[in-house]
Amino acid sequence: MEAELRDKPSFTNLRLQLAPGDEVIAESDAMAHMSSSISMTTQLNGGLIKGVLRRYFGGESMFVNRFTTDTGGELVITQPYPGDMVCLELKGNSMYLQPGAFVACEPGVELGLGWAGLRMLLGGEGLFRLKVSGHGRIWFGAYGGIFEREIDSEYVVDTGHLVAYEPTVGIRAGMAGGLFSSFFSGEGLVTRVNGPGRIYLQSRSFGGLAAWTNAYL
Amino acid sequence: MTQGISGGVFYAELSDGRAGVEIELTQSHLCAATTDGQAFVIAYEECRLEFGGYNGKMLFCRNADRTVTIFSDEKGFPKALANAASGRLNEQLAVQLAKVKGESRRSSMIGIGLLAGTFVVLVGLYFGIRAGANQLTQSLPVSLDRELGKAAYQSMPKEGSEVTDPSVVEPINAIVKKLSEHAKVEGMDFNLHVINSATINAYCLPGGTMVVYTGLISAAQSPDQVAAVISHEMAHATLRHGLSRISQTLGLSAAVSLIIGDTAGILAAGEEFFRSASINSYSRQQETDADLEGVRMMHAAGIDPSGMPSLFKLLKHEHGEIPGGFVWISTHPDHASRIQETQKMIDALPEKDYTPLELDWPALQDRVGKVDSTNEQTTVSAESPGDALGPEDKL
Repeated sequence: MEAELRDKPSFTNLRLQLAPGDEVIAESDAMAHMSSSISMTTQLNGGLIKGVLRRYFGGESMFVNRFTTDTGGELVITQPYPGDMVCLELKGNSMYLQPGAFVACEPGVELGLGWAGLRMLLGGEGLFRLKVSGHGRIWFGAYGGIFEREIDSEYVVDTGHLVAYEPTVGIRAGMAGGLFSSFFSGEGLVTRVNGPGRIYLQSRSFGGLAAWTNAYL
Repeated sequence: MTQGISGGVFYAELSDGRAGVEIELTQSHLCAATTDGQAFVIAYEECRLEFGGYNGKMLFCRNADRTVTIFSDEKGFPKALANAASGRLNEQLAVQLAKVKGESRRSSMIGIGLLAGTFVVLVGLYFGIRAGANQLTQSLPVSLDRELGKAAYQSMPKEGSEVTDPSVVEPINAIVKKLSEHAKVEGMDFNLHVINSATINAYCLPGGTMVVYTGLISAAQSPDQVAAVISHEMAHATLRHGLSRISQTLGLSAAVSLIIGDTAGILAAGEEFFRSASINSYSRQQETDADLEGVRMMHAAGIDPSGMPSLFKLLKHEHGEIPGGFVWISTHPDHASRIQETQKMIDALPEKDYTPLELDWPALQDRVGKVDSTNEQTTVSAESPGDALGPEDKL
């Protein structure tokens, strides 16, 4: 299966050229257009209970769409907001994705759910996180641009900017500074990530967009 | 030698800077071997241990210059490492485990504390806004009550035709007028409507629209008892319980509307509110307040306030008491409490010579009986606002 990320970085979409017998799994409603030779079936995202948990705590859909073809065809997948997308190849390793980041994956990738903790929920990062593991390519997206950082010690990320991270990275929510500066600096709560490992960050946050929009409503 | 522990290694010279490995533990070192045959060795003497990772329980082992990091999140890894190192790493492991436990406990405490704090703040805001709205209702102009009462009366079912016979209306109106001179709030427009209905009830809508059913006049034993019911209902209006009920029942949106001064929505909702039967009951505290304010008004007007406790005694005698276990869920205080509270207030009032009401009670009841003769069944309404007797009284 050939894959190409087009229109980077602002309006990135994923163009897949499926060969006969190829298969890809995508987030619900991610398909923009496709050849008529491709069939789409909808399935629960890992069973009913896991699907419900992913929907309400993982920020993902209860359902995923499985695209298959016997003769080959083109499939274009996109995300609902403007921003970049990244492709990673899993070789038996795992990655954690923040709620809403998952776009698509190859069938060898397993979609799981990991507990993030109460503090992360209160820190605005969600109670659960999506765990992707296995073998195959995975595509995830972000609002705005995506930065990759290799960290070996503590690194501070504002709430809503963390997109994905390796399992070796520890994360915890905390205050940006002291009590006063945390609440009056506009930074409030932040996410403290601890290496070693690789993290992916987005240049914009939905919370920031919402706050900016609200100011004009 | 221990085998079969899966993990990973970080090393800058690797193609991606990391690789999956199988970890072997020997007597002198740990060795991580990648699938393509590369091996990384860290001697126990130079091994620096640290827990971390996504769950805080992944064990990292770094060499002295931190160029190689071998890690695994397998459950048995720390114990296997301690055994293989024969005590050389026990101190480090103990310190790190204590750190993990402390951090875990601290995180749980902070998480629970933040949740509890958020809950307390939300509950505080909820009740604060409602209490604020309650206070604000008292500062709203009385014209709002009048507007609301008139609109509600127009749209409410009346359960009977309006009695226009002056021999019935005027004596009752005289009681209303006498009491209204001592109303706690100025600007109320006490406008009486006598309704030909066997329902034993009376109510006063916000602003002063007063409704007395002929069934109440027929059932009462004295004009003082009718005056007691009327004073109680007027007190609901003067204490502005109607607006309070609306602001409390409609929830936070009504509270916020009141706080920002948007009364149009409250008026519309209030009209619907008073038309509805299911929410027409005051709180127990409001009933108690109305009893006591009624006693005050009767005393001030020179009407014997003992009509109030005597009415409750009649209710208790005729219809029994609310079962003890249900008192706390009833919207009305039990009769015994009402008798005790009102009598206590009467005893505390300064002595006064009360003037008997100037009306021919037997003639009034006789006249009402004739007007009321079409009504065969006596009922107590649970649908009318300001039910002084309460649906459970079954008078």
